[in-house]
Amino acid sequence: MPRTHYTRPVLAGLTALTLAAPGAAAAQWAAPGDDSAWDLDISLILEGVYFNELSEGISDPAGFDDGHDHGHSHGHDHGHDHGFDDGFNLGHSELVFEANLGDLFDGVVMIGFDEDHLEVEEAYLVTRGLPAGFQVKAGRFLSDIGYINSRHVHDWDFVDRPLVNEFLFGDHGLQETGVQATWVAPTETYTQLGIELLQGDNSFIPYEGAGGSHSRDGDTIHSSFSDVSGPRLITAFAKFGPDLGPDHAAQFGISGGYADTWQQQTEHGSGLEEWDGDAWFAGIDAVYKYSSGRAYGHGDWRLQGEYFYREVDLDYQRRQFDTNHERHGITGSGTSKQDGLYIQGVYGFAPRWEAGLRAEALGLTNRGRIERDGLDTTVPSFGTSYRHSAQVTFRPVEPVFLRAQLSQNDFIDDHGHRDRGLEFLLQLNVALGAHGAHRF
Amino acid sequence: MFPRKTRRHLTRTFAAVVAATLLTLALLPAQAAAGLNIVATTSSLGVLAREIGADQAEVRVLAPPDRDAHYLDARPSFMAALRRADMLLELGAGLEEGWLPAAQRGANNRAINSGQPGHFRGADQVELRRSITMDGPNMGHVHAEGNPHFNSDPLRLAELALALGQRMGELRPEHADTFMERAEHTAERLRAHAEALAEQVAPDQRIVVYHEDLDYLEEWLPVEVVGYLEPAPGIPPTARHLRRLVGDLEGTEGTVLYAEFQPPRGAEFLERNLGWPTHAVPLDPPADAGLDGYLELMSTWAQTLPQR
Repeated sequence: MPRTHYTRPVLAGLTALTLAAPGAAAAQWAAPGDDSAWDLDISLILEGVYFNELSEGISDPAGFDDGHDHGHSHGHDHGHDHGFDDGFNLGHSELVFEANLGDLFDGVVMIGFDEDHLEVEEAYLVTRGLPAGFQVKAGRFLSDIGYINSRHVHDWDFVDRPLVNEFLFGDHGLQETGVQATWVAPTETYTQLGIELLQGDNSFIPYEGAGGSHSRDGDTIHSSFSDVSGPRLITAFAKFGPDLGPDHAAQFGISGGYADTWQQQTEHGSGLEEWDGDAWFAGIDAVYKYSSGRAYGHGDWRLQGEYFYREVDLDYQRRQFDTNHERHGITGSGTSKQDGLYIQGVYGFAPRWEAGLRAEALGLTNRGRIERDGLDTTVPSFGTSYRHSAQVTFRPVEPVFLRAQLSQNDFIDDHGHRDRGLEFLLQLNVALGAHGAHRF
Repeated sequence: MFPRKTRRHLTRTFAAVVAATLLTLALLPAQAAAGLNIVATTSSLGVLAREIGADQAEVRVLAPPDRDAHYLDARPSFMAALRRADMLLELGAGLEEGWLPAAQRGANNRAINSGQPGHFRGADQVELRRSITMDGPNMGHVHAEGNPHFNSDPLRLAELALALGQRMGELRPEHADTFMERAEHTAERLRAHAEALAEQVAPDQRIVVYHEDLDYLEEWLPVEVVGYLEPAPGIPPTARHLRRLVGDLEGTEGTVLYAEFQPPRGAEFLERNLGWPTHAVPLDPPADAGLDGYLELMSTWAQTLPQR
């Protein structure tokens, strides 16, 4: 497929700028003391989770089984969405390395692990020396879309990821390899604009590429997908934070993304099903924090909410095996439209103690992936799933917290059947070592 | 079969246009500010910058003076202020480590990066007292470089004023002499006032403080810190710790001092059981204070103690 590669020179240009600009700046000043030397900070975040399903409901919300399980390189094959087993779990622990090259670059490597998996969650360089409020990040990182997507478990107010983030973007959120450029405006109100060029191979946009085939009894169906070189996903975001004085702080964000390639296939005994298309998403997020000025977080408030909507525009085809090489098939087109939101609040009801509530809805609009319906195709429509959670957190010392959470799932399944489940989670999270500063 | 080439083409064109726009913006000349735009983490540092910079500086203080500067959020408004700053003043030595690095990183401003002349870190300029966190068990609140709360020490602030005057002069050479003159004047006034107050306070005072944030009073007033209300830094007073403190101090005279944002219960317990007077004091002058505001604060600290 002939293609125009605008992105190559763009990426090369960004990289060159990244490398050249701070180098020029560095020559101007040699810092006194040793704070410009190689400096490696290591921190270890250990988490333990006790999980207990008090009453069993529906394990997966309707309409979201397509991108969620497939195309996920290290599938959490536990029976439900958390990936927690009944009883004790190691949870999600992290080993974090941070180093800087003078004031030119910060390098960050974040390795996440649980009992069975070890994964490089983030590994990136971020510039510190670009002029005019620019910053470039390159490597593997959590996308800065929305609010919670770029935050790690240690910074969350609840044990688990919000449903909308988990089911629209995956078990790890939108975690990708690519380049990010941000610009902070020189204004009184904090204004950050950012754009990301990402490879595009994740739960939000599965990718197969050309060359696949499926055979049975000497008959081979060749995949109809074409290779599409990355970046296949482009995102943009804007964040605003007005100055509200010493007691209040807020940040509002809008973000969106477009993926030019969405490829998925399912192999059957009778043939091959393929979905090929593109996708986009958009969302808004808001965070408000109240600081009471009292010690140990007593009287503080945090409110946070996000809404995301996505559309996947798909061409569907199903081809049957046939030894006479007369291919029977079904084709069709349809658009999946899904969304979700959560809103949560946390209050410091006593020194070092906080309590929070979270309400979530997934699939307020819930048109699923196009599928076969007899000899025709249909875009299935599903109901909305809800979840309500309450938590109490105790922080005995600064880097440690113990959190108890009760979650009621009110999920609907693919057949419109609704049921409630109740889960209890107890989380112990400890940060050891040179634990970095927290973002807002 | 799948006619999506056009859309793919458009995505890449869009990416190219956005990148080109960003590059153009990057090449726009930065606004040349007449005065120095200075952001200080605490109001004590703000005082110095205001006194030395006068009309040639615009000073913004991040930490509200009635809050614990250890525990702040890296607010968007902080990042917006740092984005436009020519200079960042911090006490350093871990005091602001919970939030300032994140705010610095989010500000995308090379001028205030660690290691740049626009980044002025107080702890690099003065010798710090040993922090009690260096000897105790590691409870996650360790000041390995020393006690960073030297904003309660006018003598160290005087040293800092001189270093700051010099640094501001390096950034604005045309005002270097004026800055240095004002810095010397500021240092003189701080030292003179400290000396005067030290002579008014009755000798050999003993104080119990909440956190190690008033330890530096020992450096310029005739006082000795004989105990802390916190069992370990960052951990609120426990009944057991307070009883032991009362046991140790039974029959002696002294004063309990704590910051206005710290809970008063521990101090009240000592007042009941030892009969020591207690005082909640500010740790920093008001956010917009000049040197007079800091001198007044020094008097407030000194006047909590018995006078000659």
